[in-house]
Amino acid sequence: MFGWEYPPKHSGGLGVACQGLVRGLLKHNVQVTLVLPSLVDAGDDDIQILHPTTELLNTIKVMSDLQPYDSTLSYLSRRTSIGDDSLSELYGPDLGAAVERYTALSVEMTKNTNPDVVHCHDWMTLEAGIRAARHHRKPLIAHVHATELDRTHFQPNEWISSRERRGLMQADRIVAVSHYTKNMLIKHYGIPADRIAVVHNGHDAHRSPVSPAILSASRHGKSPLILFLGRMTLQKNPWQFLEIASHVRHYRPDAQFVMAGDGPMLPELIDRACTLGLQDQVVFTGKVNNREAMALYEAADCFVMPSVSEPFGLVALEAIAHGTPVIVSKQSGVSEVLDHAFKVDYWDTAKMTDCIVTILREQPLAQQLRSEAPRLLQRLNWKNQAYKIKSLYQNLIQS
Amino acid sequence: MSHPHLPLVCFYFQVHQPYRLRDLRVTDIGHGAVDYFDHDKNRAIFRKVSEKCYLPANRLMLELVTQYPDFSIAYSLSGSFLDQCEEYGPDVLDSFRALAATGKVEFLAETYNHSLSSIKSVEEFCLQTKQHVQKIQELFGQTPKVFRNTELIYSNELAQFARLMGFSGMLTEGADHVMQGRSPNAPFQPPSFWINPVQEQLIAKNRPLPECADQIRVLLKNYKLSDDVAFRFSDKSWVGHPLHADTFTDWLMGSGGHSVNLFMDYETFGEHQWADTGIFEFLRTLPRFWQERGIRAATPSQVLAAWGNRPCDTFDVHNVISWADLERDLSAWQGNLIQDASLNAVYALEADVKKSADPHLLQTWRRLQTSDHFYYMSTKYWSDGDVHKYFSPYDSPYEAYRRFSHALCDLKIRLQQHELSS
Repeated sequence: MFGWEYPPKHSGGLGVACQGLVRGLLKHNVQVTLVLPSLVDAGDDDIQILHPTTELLNTIKVMSDLQPYDSTLSYLSRRTSIGDDSLSELYGPDLGAAVERYTALSVEMTKNTNPDVVHCHDWMTLEAGIRAARHHRKPLIAHVHATELDRTHFQPNEWISSRERRGLMQADRIVAVSHYTKNMLIKHYGIPADRIAVVHNGHDAHRSPVSPAILSASRHGKSPLILFLGRMTLQKNPWQFLEIASHVRHYRPDAQFVMAGDGPMLPELIDRACTLGLQDQVVFTGKVNNREAMALYEAADCFVMPSVSEPFGLVALEAIAHGTPVIVSKQSGVSEVLDHAFKVDYWDTAKMTDCIVTILREQPLAQQLRSEAPRLLQRLNWKNQAYKIKSLYQNLIQS
Repeated sequence: MSHPHLPLVCFYFQVHQPYRLRDLRVTDIGHGAVDYFDHDKNRAIFRKVSEKCYLPANRLMLELVTQYPDFSIAYSLSGSFLDQCEEYGPDVLDSFRALAATGKVEFLAETYNHSLSSIKSVEEFCLQTKQHVQKIQELFGQTPKVFRNTELIYSNELAQFARLMGFSGMLTEGADHVMQGRSPNAPFQPPSFWINPVQEQLIAKNRPLPECADQIRVLLKNYKLSDDVAFRFSDKSWVGHPLHADTFTDWLMGSGGHSVNLFMDYETFGEHQWADTGIFEFLRTLPRFWQERGIRAATPSQVLAAWGNRPCDTFDVHNVISWADLERDLSAWQGNLIQDASLNAVYALEADVKKSADPHLLQTWRRLQTSDHFYYMSTKYWSDGDVHKYFSPYDSPYEAYRRFSHALCDLKIRLQQHELSS
């Protein structure tokens, strides 16, 4: 499996999803060789992931500085800011060359493994998947967590989207993280529907859901907190969250807003918050680690995910796991699986505002969302979702 | 003439449309005369159902009651449906009046707003029933003698309430757990039941009919045969599909007893079961087979009159039942937090609304009592894409609650303003 670095090094859902899936597969006794791009020396195979069945997991690290959400521009800017001469010399400033380098190394390093299926995640690992599958003469599963269209607000980098299209066409089976993504692949990439299977992401709640009564008691008298958590990019629609905040403030002057995450839009968002006069209401936390994210979910009265185009949206599952009422964009994969939540078109600021104000005003509503939504995770966990992937493997192996 | 050993068939149809709420926003609250109801949507749904069901079904029924001397039917038309007839469908109202004019159609009493008042406020229960009785008298020139509560909600206590209100008959569901293997095809009686004198006085004060009835009989829905038509008619995986009128007549005869009570939504004809399923043809041929075999279709009052003073078995219902969902209880409308909160909140306004004596506020408040609002908030099997989803005009139970809670917030403010200005 050509995957992505595990948390806490991840930035976004791809690493979390890879980790969840691999752990789920191990529970079903699937032996996984995991190939990860890593800045750490490839000789260091101590991956520091403790798991009871690690004997099934073999990790290979490919020396590479690829990150899952790179665009040609962000890669370039990161390259120049790292200032690590040895690495720069190794790869140069070009994302294309870096991907090629990663691909060549990955395929070389996995030559002597003996897989039944090759599984890769998103476009940067596609070529490695294709070449490895060809080398081993085994079927290829391409797992799509996001497309270039999602990442760029439908203004794709043609080089990337054409690589995506070409790569996906060569896969034996495609796994989409939602029907939303499946439809995108059919409509914009021209991929036949019968080659795409939908397996939603899961979430493993590491603790029992928070008791609603305890939560509401501990909150009594505090000012309400509304949370945004995600990268500050067009795709996640943080700009809109600020608009919403300025409207909500009109009805709830005591409301506090937290925007957690970093990203290229951060400076302009801070400017915008000040322009809207929200400097005392909005807190920008920058990037948060898992513990901080958990604390934020717990403290929040409402979580908003206003993404413009969200293939899945794992953060919404994390929020409900912590008993936080959620409002998600209808243009998201997670909206297909959430029942106990508000779903609103991403452009509908007024409606999102209204849902927040209603949740803050109506205790029975907030309590019901808190207590009912987490039940979803009893079935939508990685063990169950990995079982679906294992079935796909078995079908491919037998056919 | 009917044979003494053949059962009567009692065809009764519920006809109801709620006032669905519009997409109210927090910006609408507290600005005075905001209208809570989505008249465009309500009109559109009313017209759609009229074209598919009410008009063609009424045309057919008129033909059948005119053609077959032994074919009579019963309806209960909710007050909110009749209000919508006046707003959106005078043609539909005329077609019901034409049916009434044949003298072969019985109209039953219910709460005007198709509400859950029977379980929340005795006074409202009586007043809404009284309002409905008056409306039926006014529109159709007949006084209902038989009561059917919203969605056949029923208990021992409610049967006595209905008797004290003046009704000698009441309809409900032949729920399995109460029947205990007995046939629903005979009138039953409720156990005698001691009513709290305060409630008895409330009923006496607001009684819809002039006198209380000495006794009340209960007619039970034969849900197996009713649902064969209402739910299973077009189900191709059902062993009885396709259902023919002569086969169904065999089943009715086989079911035996005093009367087979076929109670269903009127929208079964053309709306739940589309015309292309053959449901209208099925209905058209039934009376012909019944006439050939000597079966008489009678209204609830006729069924009870034919029973006379013969003794009845006791139908003993401590916990409230209804015809809704598999549970046949109140769980379609109450049980989750948002349902209970909104139901309690709407009845908590009763004293203030009545004190205002403002007819418009009273009407608005009563339209918010319509059971459908709470049905849309059900999350019972929300995940499984069930029947609640099919009937809901909103995206989700939470959307239903969002709109409803805005309406209640605004109504509270209007009541306060009314109080201040007077």
